[in-house]
Amino acid sequence: MNYHILNKDGLDGFIKELSKQMKVYAPVSRGHGNFAFEEVSSGAQVALKYIPTILPPKKYLMPQRETMLEFDIKGERPEDTALLEAEEIALFGVHTCDLAGIQCLNMVFSERPRDYNYLLRKEKVFIIGLECNAYCDEHASCALVGNQLPNGGYDLFFTELGERFIIHVNTQKGEDLLEGMGLPKALPADISELARAREGKKSVFKNEIGVEPGKLPEIFEKAMNSKVWEELGKRCISCGNCTNVCPTCYCFDMADTVNLDLKTGVRTRTWDSCQFETFAAVSGGENFRPERAARQRHRFYRKFKFSPDKFYRFFCTGCGRCTRTCMAKINLKETLRALAAESK
Amino acid sequence: MTKKNVSNKPKAAFFDFACCEGCQLQVANLGEALLDILGAIDVVEFREVMSEKWDKDYDVAIVEGSITDHHAEERIKKIRARSRVLIAYGACAAIGGVNGMKNSFDLDEIRRSVYGKDYKLFDSTPTRAIHQVVKVDYTVNGCPVYPPELLEVIKCALRGLAYTVPDKPVCSECKLNENVCMYERGVACLGPWTKAGCNSWCVNNGNICYGCRGLVSRPASGAAEEVIMKYNLKPELIKNKFDMYNKCGEAEAKGGK
Repeated sequence: MNYHILNKDGLDGFIKELSKQMKVYAPVSRGHGNFAFEEVSSGAQVALKYIPTILPPKKYLMPQRETMLEFDIKGERPEDTALLEAEEIALFGVHTCDLAGIQCLNMVFSERPRDYNYLLRKEKVFIIGLECNAYCDEHASCALVGNQLPNGGYDLFFTELGERFIIHVNTQKGEDLLEGMGLPKALPADISELARAREGKKSVFKNEIGVEPGKLPEIFEKAMNSKVWEELGKRCISCGNCTNVCPTCYCFDMADTVNLDLKTGVRTRTWDSCQFETFAAVSGGENFRPERAARQRHRFYRKFKFSPDKFYRFFCTGCGRCTRTCMAKINLKETLRALAAESK
Repeated sequence: MTKKNVSNKPKAAFFDFACCEGCQLQVANLGEALLDILGAIDVVEFREVMSEKWDKDYDVAIVEGSITDHHAEERIKKIRARSRVLIAYGACAAIGGVNGMKNSFDLDEIRRSVYGKDYKLFDSTPTRAIHQVVKVDYTVNGCPVYPPELLEVIKCALRGLAYTVPDKPVCSECKLNENVCMYERGVACLGPWTKAGCNSWCVNNGNICYGCRGLVSRPASGAAEEVIMKYNLKPELIKNKFDMYNKCGEAEAKGGK
């Protein structure tokens, strides 16, 4: 186990030094209690205390809009060139819920056929995690899914200990960076302090819905015809906010656009959402999920049933974004509690 | 370029009815893209920028404004008869737009208020969007139109492809642009019920969505109550905002080709 120490007043120097090597993105206040990952070049810009950002850091791994290829149909044979826009970047201050989100996406995009745009871009992203020593707000449910603690998925991981950060080094890239900056190694006393801090978190973070997480797939097994979905369907706007802000939602749409010469063009992929009216519509006019209730149900099953069946883990990271962003007050914790109560 | 090539380009014409002509002005705001468009089409009529008229058929008629009297109705029918493709251009043409506010009142009452005691000398009919009078092949929504969407529609028209107006709320694009939600700022916004396709242009620039693109085909009616409750708003406030652009009956639900 390798740990280093950074005094808090050294954070500014750390960000400045890092931003000389690559672009650094960190949570920044947007006002009205909102935060977003944005490019920073000094410590002062970084919001160390922040509730999950409007969009999760997945936007750096699978951009909202991405050009996949250029095509040209001028000649006898159509031609195309695959594109990958990616540069070395660092993400600073990624909470454990969002680290879990990236781990989920890694699993999805590593499946065959592999998504090379995602995987190659991910190689260029240097990830620095940041521990939450307390809840961000009442909408989080990270303890339910075990994401209140770090479970890997980073190069470096910062934990605040009073006036200092103790930094866990998880990769050689991370070690090289800290060595290059000459940050001192942590002493055994620092590591004991970290252990005490983690022990202290046990009394802060508690299963938020009072249902054993292991029981959730079973609860969902029985919930296909639950009235809960009708309730959600009545309120849902179908705006797709809940899936756009979700750190594990990865559905996308592809479209070809021609240029004005009508011969050349590009293929673009854009985030899509299972909540949109048109998502499950196919040619011929059939729509497999025309009702809002069925679409909301689908979203919950993608987080708590289909994903454990396929990937052996929940695709809800407990970040609480879907609840925060819903203008019609659809609440994840309340929904899970209602389903659990019904299944008794 | 030889003269023959020039004459082979599709003939396009701009027309306006009840409107502020601001959407036509957006053509001039296209900048460099305008040169590319002019490389692909011949503009044969465009009252705002040229005095020439065209006496043959049009390949593409781009029509701004809504139909608000009998004379306009006759004129749009004649234009339609001479046009292979007709594009309803801008909110007034696409959904009736602000002219639709007239439909909130008794017609004679509103005529009297505007024209005075001799109001009967001035013809007027309830406001209609273009597709409520003649067949429309493509629609460019917005007040004003969003230039990148205009470009997409022109390309689709030239290639004979369908253009699909996104049938999902503006929020879907607004969230991708990572704007702080207007409701979080304590302001009512029509994004949740308005058709996307503008890349949340107004909200990106600090304004609310006024619903100028018309409603999605199945707007969430139940959600409105929840939203009003959550953010402690007055229902009339949201209804009034809708009335600014969306008074032409079923017009709002219709897209283009």
